[in-house]
Amino acid sequence: MMEMEEKIKQWCPAGGLRVEESGERVLVVMADDLENVCRRLHDDTEEPMDYLRDLVGVDNGPETGTLSVFYQLESARTGRRLMLRCDTRGRDAEGALLPTVSGIWHTAEIKEREAWDLLGIRFVGHPDMRRLYLRENWNGHPLRKDYDMNSNVLDLEAETNADVTEEFDLMADGTLRGHENVVFNPDDFVVNIGPQHPSTHGVLRMRTALDGEMVKKIDPVLGYIHRGIEKMNERLTYPQTLALTDRLDYLSAHQNRHALCMCIEQAAGIEVSRRVQFIRTIMDELQRIDSHLLFYSCLAMDMGALTPFFYGFREREMILDIFEETTGGRLIQNYNVIGGVQADIHPGFVSSVKKFITHLRGIIHEYHEIFTGNVIARTRLQGVGVLSREDAISLGATGGTGRASGWANDVRKHHPYALYGEVDFREIVYTEGDSFARYMVRMDEIMESCHIIEQLIDNIPEGEFRVKVRPVLKLPEGVYTASVEASRGEFGVFLVSRGDKVPYRLHYRSTGLPLVHAMDTVCRGGKIADLIAIGGTLDFVIPDIDR
Amino acid sequence: MNQAFLDYYSLEPLTGWIHRTLCGVMPEDWAVFLEGLVIGVVILLAYALLAVVLIYMERRVCGAFQCRIGPNRVGGRGGLLQVPADVLKILTKEIIRLKKSDHLLYELAPYLVILASVVSFSCLPWHKGAQVLDLEIGVFFVLAASSIGVLGILLAGWSSNSKYTLIGAVRSGAMIISYELSLGITVLTMVVLSGTMSISGIVESQAGGWNIFRGHIVAVVAFIIYLIAGNAEANRGPFDLAEAEQELTAGYHTEYSGMHFGFFYLAEYLNLFITAGIATTLFLGGWMPFHVAGLDGFNAVMDYIPGIVWFLGKTFFVVFLLMWIRWTFPRLRIDQVLTLEWKYLMPLSLLVMMVMTVFKVFGLVF
Amino acid sequence: MSKFTEYIKGYWNGTGTLLVGLRTSMRVFLRKKVTEQYPENRHTTLHIPERHRATLEMVYDEEGHHHCIACGLCQMACPNGTIRVTSATKEDAEGKKKKYLVKYEYDLGSCMFCQLCVNACPHGAIRFSNHFENAVFEREKLLLTLSREGSVLAASGSK
Repeated sequence: MMEMEEKIKQWCPAGGLRVEESGERVLVVMADDLENVCRRLHDDTEEPMDYLRDLVGVDNGPETGTLSVFYQLESARTGRRLMLRCDTRGRDAEGALLPTVSGIWHTAEIKEREAWDLLGIRFVGHPDMRRLYLRENWNGHPLRKDYDMNSNVLDLEAETNADVTEEFDLMADGTLRGHENVVFNPDDFVVNIGPQHPSTHGVLRMRTALDGEMVKKIDPVLGYIHRGIEKMNERLTYPQTLALTDRLDYLSAHQNRHALCMCIEQAAGIEVSRRVQFIRTIMDELQRIDSHLLFYSCLAMDMGALTPFFYGFREREMILDIFEETTGGRLIQNYNVIGGVQADIHPGFVSSVKKFITHLRGIIHEYHEIFTGNVIARTRLQGVGVLSREDAISLGATGGTGRASGWANDVRKHHPYALYGEVDFREIVYTEGDSFARYMVRMDEIMESCHIIEQLIDNIPEGEFRVKVRPVLKLPEGVYTASVEASRGEFGVFLVSRGDKVPYRLHYRSTGLPLVHAMDTVCRGGKIADLIAIGGTLDFVIPDIDR
Repeated sequence: MNQAFLDYYSLEPLTGWIHRTLCGVMPEDWAVFLEGLVIGVVILLAYALLAVVLIYMERRVCGAFQCRIGPNRVGGRGGLLQVPADVLKILTKEIIRLKKSDHLLYELAPYLVILASVVSFSCLPWHKGAQVLDLEIGVFFVLAASSIGVLGILLAGWSSNSKYTLIGAVRSGAMIISYELSLGITVLTMVVLSGTMSISGIVESQAGGWNIFRGHIVAVVAFIIYLIAGNAEANRGPFDLAEAEQELTAGYHTEYSGMHFGFFYLAEYLNLFITAGIATTLFLGGWMPFHVAGLDGFNAVMDYIPGIVWFLGKTFFVVFLLMWIRWTFPRLRIDQVLTLEWKYLMPLSLLVMMVMTVFKVFGLVF
Repeated sequence: MSKFTEYIKGYWNGTGTLLVGLRTSMRVFLRKKVTEQYPENRHTTLHIPERHRATLEMVYDEEGHHHCIACGLCQMACPNGTIRVTSATKEDAEGKKKKYLVKYEYDLGSCMFCQLCVNACPHGAIRFSNHFENAVFEREKLLLTLSREGSVLAASGSK
């Protein structure tokens, strides 16, 4: 770590490097050095920081007069993680500027748009500075601390999306000059896929330019289910923030909440018992099976095979029953709490999980017979929608999508948490990068998850299921992060505490946002039917994208 | 083989008697007109009734394939009144006129589709002597009449002035016109085997054994090709890419509502029935009972079952086969649809026809 | 020539996989169906796990006494402002001022069943019940009053 920092220091001629260490270690870089540092980190020969995990904007408060952006980096080769911070000079239109890193990591294209939308940080040189979630005529930037909650009246007028977008360049004399980039030409045949569409799996809208059946360009329009969870979090106490995580990616409810609990526990120095670790690991894996069964169902349905859809739901129902016995919920489960879990496992839990796994192992061949092996399904998936490994990393397409492209990115393997360091499991990696590989990764992961659960289910140790935690929890000042492998990729929690009982900023790394962003890269040149199948195999969940 | 049952079977004496009686009380022109009117009403009624039956069957069968029960609330445990209730609902729905559509074509399209299907429906051989349209070139007529449907689909897609419908219509046009080739060729194969194009002639030529048995394995292959191509003609899964719910929401009929949509829906199911009915006629002996050579007692029992039962029984069996296919496979992509036709089905059906002709010429068929 | 054999192989393999699919779907066709028939199975196969969170209710003992000391912790814990506890104070026999519960209001319509109120309650006075058939036609009907007229704090104070 030290030599890394030494290296970075040399790349910062303008302002040097400052290291802050409250909570996580953060390297503070001056805006003038940012581009150079990022470029060199990305191009480093030994340890290229080629994966931008997340880009988070934070308002430092009107009194400081600055805004910050945190860059969470990881090297896909070694797994080393690094966090940079860069502050803007001011908060007004001239001051809230940062150089873009979207030319270095493609995922920054969409994440910088998010930071612009919610915090009003303008990224100089970014080709597409439109708002991401909010309406184009929205006033203000809601995640600013001085944002007036009443500054926008309810607007029910239909929104016309502009076909052009702005890019800002910083001139040598320090002035900004904007010029327009074209999203769609007037003679493009633009079809709206969504927001109300059978196979966008929620309210996602993709403006798709077609040439006959061929896809020329996709422009995702997000925000149809934006609830402002991150803004809400700034007013909720830590236990209360937990209530919202299940509502992000509802097919990763356990994992999401696991990540937030881990983050808070780590910040507050709470140790959970081994029993809790066992329960959390088993629940995470059950959730993963649940999610992947739904993935299978929805993919089959998107491709017009309605019968396999019900096969997946048939078995998923059993998992939901198991969940409901123990957690009391089927979709919104409220199970992990700070310091443990809400309630001890149900007396029948162990036996029903074992019964379910035996059942699943006995019936999974039907899934493969009716769909995997089918010549129609295969020709529709194989060789279609190829995502290269480089693109997957650059786009931050984690989870099964990245692993299908040959990028070993399983957080469970490379940054073990809970009991994943102790159990034996295989990280499923395919190298083809096509739709079929993405499909097979998930199908194989179902079996791996069964394997993990089988190792744990008989050995759950006795112990407390929840340690006592003070009802009003205050976290020490600092920046804290945690990440887990959710059902469809890396789910991250980024928490800034100012020592209050509410978080100063609580940001979630959406697993689906990079995937939706990847749609354009993956689908180009494919057909409409491929677009639907690719959307199915990328497997995104919209509430998690919009948050 | 003893073919006496053919006479016992015929409805011709009955229809002839009715005609003579009517002629006794009115001029012949009037009688023919009246008969035509009655037959027309009967056809339309049968058409509507069969649609209801087929939709109900589809929903039950599909339910069973999908580990569930299907409609079972409206009208007792069997859910028998579900479809009539749906029909009532669709009749009360508003027919929405689109502002920017081509009104004439937009409203004409569903009628073209339903017209094509009613005309081909009239050609089915229900029973000996109970065939409404029995032309010398019957098979040819059915092929021609059913092709009007694609015009309706294309018009619907074009005139709705919507992007989804347009894509759906173009897909459908490309597909149906392609599949008509192998459909026609397999039909010709059976014409070669039967030696006639008249539908009643084809059925009667199978008195000694159904075509599917007479034509060896070749006829079986032809039967399978016919089913695939017929399925595509009827725009049904896995060839439903013109509708492609998951891609184009509803394809060419996205913008239709009320009974206009209902017409498309009806025609889809009746086309399924017609496809199965023609398959029955060409391959499974139409209304011919099932006979096993040598078992006279068994054959006599079979003869007691009326022809219409045989016809409907066989047709519904084929319908079930088609449903089985639909509820198992994923949808094909447009290029796969065309590859399947031009690269696999068409060469194979040409081969089948050639082999069949050779068999026929050398008298190798039963 | 190899192209031709590939073509023929494509035929065979393709047909084979399709037949396997048909076999599987027919197997399921003949199998017992998994549908649960909801209103009919209410008293037979319907199983609601005891931890299921359907609606908040107050715990009453046999005499109809509740356990709420009107401390308002549940109200504070609720992220949605779902709960409103109305309390008053009176002097008990020893002359100490004591809070008591006047009204416990709960808005089922805005509850997100996060269980924070139940966790916060020091006396186990509230819990989630299994009565899940809560559909009504007007939103006002979802505003429930959980406290009962005439019910007082149980003697023990907690259960």
